[in-house]
Amino acid sequence: MNNYSDSDWNWEFYEELIEDVTENKNIISCISCGKCVGDCPASRVSKFNIRKIIQKVLRGDKSVLKDSDIWYCYLCEKCKKICPSEGINIPLLIINLRNESFKKGFGPRFTDLRKYVEMAERFLTSGIVVEEPLGEPLSQQRIDEINEICNFARIKYVFKASKKKNKKKE
Amino acid sequence: MEIEEDSLALDLEEIEREFPENPLEFFRGKRLCLFNACLERYYPGVRWGIQDLLADLNINAPTCTNQSCCSGTFFQRNLITRAQFAAINERNLNEMNHQADIVLVPCNGCYNSLLRGRDFLKSNEVKMKTQEILNQLDTTFKEDNYPDKYEILEKPNLKLVHDLDFLYLIRKDVVNSLKFDLKGFKVAVHYGCHYLNLSRDKKTPEGLLKDKTKLEELISLFGGEPVDYQERELCCGWGASQRIINLPESLYITYRKLKSVQNVGADFILVPCPTCLYTLEKPEYRKGIANLYNEQFDIPVIHLNELIAMLRGCEEERCITLRRKTPRLEEIFESVTNE
Repeated sequence: MNNYSDSDWNWEFYEELIEDVTENKNIISCISCGKCVGDCPASRVSKFNIRKIIQKVLRGDKSVLKDSDIWYCYLCEKCKKICPSEGINIPLLIINLRNESFKKGFGPRFTDLRKYVEMAERFLTSGIVVEEPLGEPLSQQRIDEINEICNFARIKYVFKASKKKNKKKE
Repeated sequence: MEIEEDSLALDLEEIEREFPENPLEFFRGKRLCLFNACLERYYPGVRWGIQDLLADLNINAPTCTNQSCCSGTFFQRNLITRAQFAAINERNLNEMNHQADIVLVPCNGCYNSLLRGRDFLKSNEVKMKTQEILNQLDTTFKEDNYPDKYEILEKPNLKLVHDLDFLYLIRKDVVNSLKFDLKGFKVAVHYGCHYLNLSRDKKTPEGLLKDKTKLEELISLFGGEPVDYQERELCCGWGASQRIINLPESLYITYRKLKSVQNVGADFILVPCPTCLYTLEKPEYRKGIANLYNEQFDIPVIHLNELIAMLRGCEEERCITLRRKTPRLEEIFESVTNE
């Protein structure tokens, strides 16, 4: 059932998203055919429904940023491949929405982020996401470069949070 | 200058046109290197399998030096920005560009990241921010005898090729190098989303509509029987770290995949990606599925590079590292090599 009336319509949200990622202007050509939902792994296991998400964005309904649904996307890119409209990049839209969700202070569940602590720590201290590399490790200089690139990124905060926690434990 | 679309992906059709009889000739005299995928740590046969094959074909292919993780995992969860992701990517590409003309990539995730990082540079804003980050590297590390300057590669000579595409291209040489075959084996294939759904394939009607069948064709060439199954195109369940974040939901996806493969009586699943391999075969995940759905799956999963090594008669430890305790892998190994 459609929960919106024409008077609810506003472009503000859509425009905000385009300002961040220009490519997302193409979602206006969504024809709501639902092919993306039919072939979506996340839709099999959660309420993630890209057709409804696009509808919400176009209606200016920012509740989509609070919903946990956007964090269920598998980013498998199947939707992007089978979408009959030209230039709609759904995975990029989801990343864009997740970014907005972070900025507005909703973001993913804290417990979900904590699951990244170990990988973030490995990446920022050795440049890989597993315990050790197969072969030669990266030199400290290269690792410093990666850290410099990641300055002010959320990955650094995840990493710092883990360090603080470890310190407290000590 | 605008970043050329798909300028990084090796043009396979052109090689097939120019070297119809022996595409391997295209690679002779060129500098090759192998991209280090993090998960090769758990599956070293993925690297050694292709490295040994190339050595036997008299092609030297060292691993990339100074290359970090592709960082796709962090980008996909918004822990780094598009520009930071593109900068990590460009740093890696700069290093590889020094070392090689062609880079072989063994993992769908890494391959997709490398292409996607370049794709983002088509946005002027991202490109500008990426350049700023790379400039900052130069400023910060100059005094420490910083050896290189990283720049956005406008027209790199470097080309990337996925291991599956490469091995398919040189399939005649691969088949000639085999000691054993897959006679009597029924094999299900899993390509993985980031190989199946590459956006550049959408540009032609063929790319959009045609099934990708390189793995099936290779299985036939190796003497085996590829078997189709309903969930052939379903994700392995990794889903950009959904396996870590939403485990039960993600295990359901893997369950559906394995169930579908089991229904058609396949002996093993062949994959071209170590992340899919990890997700589909890790004993802990199989146990999780058994607990949730009361069904035990013991079907082995093998990476294409490992399979080729096995068929070429490599030592166990070098090609499939039986230590990994995948269900029934040893049985497959013995059966293949005892013919």
